[in-house]
Amino acid sequence: MSGIGSIGPHVAKPVAGGCLVVASLVLLPVVATSYQLGTLVVSMVFLLPALGLNLILGYTGMLSLAQMGFFGVGGYTSALLAMHFGTPFWLNFLAACVVPALVAIPLAIPALRLRHTSFVMCTIAFVFILESVSKNWVSVTRGDMGLSSVPRPRLGLWSGGFEVHTVVQYYYLGLLLCMLAVAALVAIVRSPAGRYMIAIREDEILAASVGGRTWHYRLAAFVLSAAFAGAGGSYYVHYITVISPTVFDPSYTNTVLVVVLGGGVGTISGPILGSVVFVALSEALRVAPELRMMIYGLILTVSVFAFPKGLIELLASVAKRAWPLRARRSHAD
Amino acid sequence: MRYLTTKRALLMLTALCGMCLAGGQVPTARADSGNIEVGVIGPMTGANAPYGSLAWRGASLAVKEINAAGGVLGHKIELVRGDSQCTPVEGVLALQRMIENNHIHFVLGDICSSATLAYEPIVENAKVLLLNAASSDPAITHKAGVGGFKWVFRDYPTDEQRAGIVLKYAAEQDHIHKVAILSVDNDYGRGAIALSKEFFQRYGITAVSEDYFQAATTEFLPVLNKIKDSGAQAILMYGYAASSRLVARQMLESGLAGKIILIGNGDFTNPQTIAAAPSVLNGAIEAAAWSPDFDSARSKTFVHDYEATYDGEVPQVHAFTHWEAINLLAAAIRKAGSVDPTAVRHALEGISFEGATGEVKFDDHHQADLPMILYQVENGKPVIKGVSRTAVVYSKP
Amino acid sequence: MLQNLLTDGLVIGSVYALVSVGMTVILGVLGQINFAHGEYYMAGAFAAWWGIDRLGLSYVAAIPLALVIVAAISLAIGYAVMQRLVDVSFDAGIIATLGISLLLQNTATLLFGGTYQIFDGGWLEPVRVLGEDVAQQRVLIFVVTLAVFGGLEWLVRKSRFGKQMRAVAQNVECCHILGVDVRRVVLITFVLGTTLAALSGVLTAPIVMNVYGSMGEAITLKSFAVIVMGGMGNISGTLLAGWLLGIMESLVAGYVGLQFRDAVAFALLVLVLMWRPSGFFTTKARY
Repeated sequence: MSGIGSIGPHVAKPVAGGCLVVASLVLLPVVATSYQLGTLVVSMVFLLPALGLNLILGYTGMLSLAQMGFFGVGGYTSALLAMHFGTPFWLNFLAACVVPALVAIPLAIPALRLRHTSFVMCTIAFVFILESVSKNWVSVTRGDMGLSSVPRPRLGLWSGGFEVHTVVQYYYLGLLLCMLAVAALVAIVRSPAGRYMIAIREDEILAASVGGRTWHYRLAAFVLSAAFAGAGGSYYVHYITVISPTVFDPSYTNTVLVVVLGGGVGTISGPILGSVVFVALSEALRVAPELRMMIYGLILTVSVFAFPKGLIELLASVAKRAWPLRARRSHAD
Repeated sequence: MRYLTTKRALLMLTALCGMCLAGGQVPTARADSGNIEVGVIGPMTGANAPYGSLAWRGASLAVKEINAAGGVLGHKIELVRGDSQCTPVEGVLALQRMIENNHIHFVLGDICSSATLAYEPIVENAKVLLLNAASSDPAITHKAGVGGFKWVFRDYPTDEQRAGIVLKYAAEQDHIHKVAILSVDNDYGRGAIALSKEFFQRYGITAVSEDYFQAATTEFLPVLNKIKDSGAQAILMYGYAASSRLVARQMLESGLAGKIILIGNGDFTNPQTIAAAPSVLNGAIEAAAWSPDFDSARSKTFVHDYEATYDGEVPQVHAFTHWEAINLLAAAIRKAGSVDPTAVRHALEGISFEGATGEVKFDDHHQADLPMILYQVENGKPVIKGVSRTAVVYSKP
Repeated sequence: MLQNLLTDGLVIGSVYALVSVGMTVILGVLGQINFAHGEYYMAGAFAAWWGIDRLGLSYVAAIPLALVIVAAISLAIGYAVMQRLVDVSFDAGIIATLGISLLLQNTATLLFGGTYQIFDGGWLEPVRVLGEDVAQQRVLIFVVTLAVFGGLEWLVRKSRFGKQMRAVAQNVECCHILGVDVRRVVLITFVLGTTLAALSGVLTAPIVMNVYGSMGEAITLKSFAVIVMGGMGNISGTLLAGWLLGIMESLVAGYVGLQFRDAVAFALLVLVLMWRPSGFFTTKARY
């Protein structure tokens, strides 16, 4: 077998699978409706900070509930640049990644010394402090009035270019951003630094004994996760066109947490699956408006016991039972 | 993970996505049912659920009354409920769902300004009429009508005029010159105070302190202690019924009854608020679009029917405004002679509606010009001291 | 004014302490943060309101009724969920308790409607304390708080169950070896902690006046700050931390501005963690 087969099956299968997925994602707008695409856009809005949380929780073992604080900082940054300077989207997006990362540094330095539970509490507090800043720094953020009529993403090099304004266009923009983010996460995780981070998660003392400063890697993970969150904020603010201190509301943080833990922490496809499933679930439950949040809450609680390692693990065990023979055969290759 | 090759995982993922998306596409109203589908979107769950509930109850009552009387142009109105949790993200999704699945052409919403602002581009694009009856950010209508969004209307007063009316009366009639600012910490409270400050010099008023409270705050003793010592004659408050009750009670507790009055807006004239601490509320000055005590046949009927329908609950202003908004919408549809949204929109622009408190009409920014009633509480009852209107003066861009 | 602010702070702080102690006790024994903590406070307030409004009870009779109702609910939840969280990761425990929080909030909204219910009861006549007029209910709360903390200290230090609690808090594996029924201890501690939250809900309802399904959210967040300041798992530390927070908030509201009041709790939380991670009143950090 020539062509793809000659590359070797261990490469061919993932590549074929990847192409299938990419093709179906690209063609989705043909069959999906506006509302469904809108739901996926929101999934992607939450996926970006979820990838960041996945990095810090799944690969370094620290639970940070500050993601949406950085999301908000990124959103405000992107919006303010677009509104005051009319800068193109790539620049706003980049700034939205960098500014939260810079803000994260002075916050991380004292926080990283803490043990697990204290660290979690500390990150919760960060979000409220950032909210207080956004409410009171009225000259910049307009306080509670918030910023509205945030410009649409302008895809151009410096001036001119194409303005994204339909849901389909936002969907493709989101796909692009998420693919970049996933690629970045994969690159980080598979790098030597990434492997070291996993070592920290497994056994910090042992990791320290092997060499290298664990603290620096944890700081890097925290700062990078803030950048992912800021990226999400930028995509969010140019889609919703409004940002106010409500973005620091705990419900946003809870959504991202559910996406990561429910999807499968410490895996690449976990948050991706989680973001689609949990947002779609929340939307699908609108058929029963009075019971919606009750059922959602019940599902969350049950999910902790039904699939403690996330949906990805559930799928894996289903796959194991569905395809036992095939798996053994492919393993023999 | 060895059995879960990328290909299988992603195939299953795609299948799952498909199922989820299919689950989202559940048409809950047949497009040819003949009913007029009207959306009501607001915080039905979460911290602001009480306000969403008021909006829904007010709107439902109006729909019940209209349908009982034969509907509008022979069609019955059907309300569709959407939960925004007062966050733009949830709200946008709920709105998109309603537009697509329920085929709504008209929607009432939101309570929170940031959600309402997020809906504006969406309704504009979908040509759905958005009639807001609760948000206070002036930007909502600065950007509507000739300001850009032609499908957005607001039948709720902004505070531009209200601020001045209150202060003028307080200064001229009650010789109030020192106020302590104590308002709710959101766009409504902060916005109203910012507008109030523009009138301070004109009426010779100074603020001896400035404090804002979270809507869910229950503790006011420390700030009231500060106000007690500050020499303020009045507390300038823009808040809600829930917080006004608490402030009144705690003013009583701190011994401020009869020494400092409340001025501004916060359901001071609601019987339940007055009942919380009558001696404190005496002399309170409020400019409100409506009060349960308002003396018109239609308003009294509304209060009576609302209490009868909802277990004796006394309606608050948000319930009234949404009830009125449904009636306004029905009137616009009748005036247009059709349920076509574009026709209804034109009808609404030029309408002169006899509301329960007076005439309602819209300016060229689609902001309602409403009667604003100035009340002062005397002997436990609100007394009307003046009526003005809420016409907004727009500065040149 | 300063003296009045300090008195206010003590009174308000007692509420914080009473509300939060349940969370710290549960954290100590179970090792999990109960994100649904405020909902038990809300359930206490609602149960009492229901007793007064629908059953026509007096406030005094409504108090034990509310406690019994909430204890029953938390027994069910403890048995079905919380006990099982012993074996589950900390992060998963957050999701589980978040789910319970949503469930409880929305059940209340479903049962009683989304609007505010007004609480009718309690002793609100002001009485003069330390030169300041405060409602009698507040004095009652202060006294009950002292009694509760006294009782808890006795429970943990002197009683047999308290020994078991401390054993589970210190080393769960050893408990299995020694024959301490970990799940039972967790369950009883959970019911105790949540009933205390409900008690604080019932006692503050006359002051707070507005009862609604989501009234517990702010409580949970405030409790985080209090238990961190006091030292997680430290009971008397929680009392002192509650008072300290109440006083700090009071001073900030009086001298700076009420809009910064909530930031105080979180700023203090961060400061404590930076400077003294084990809490102001604990020497050894366990969390």
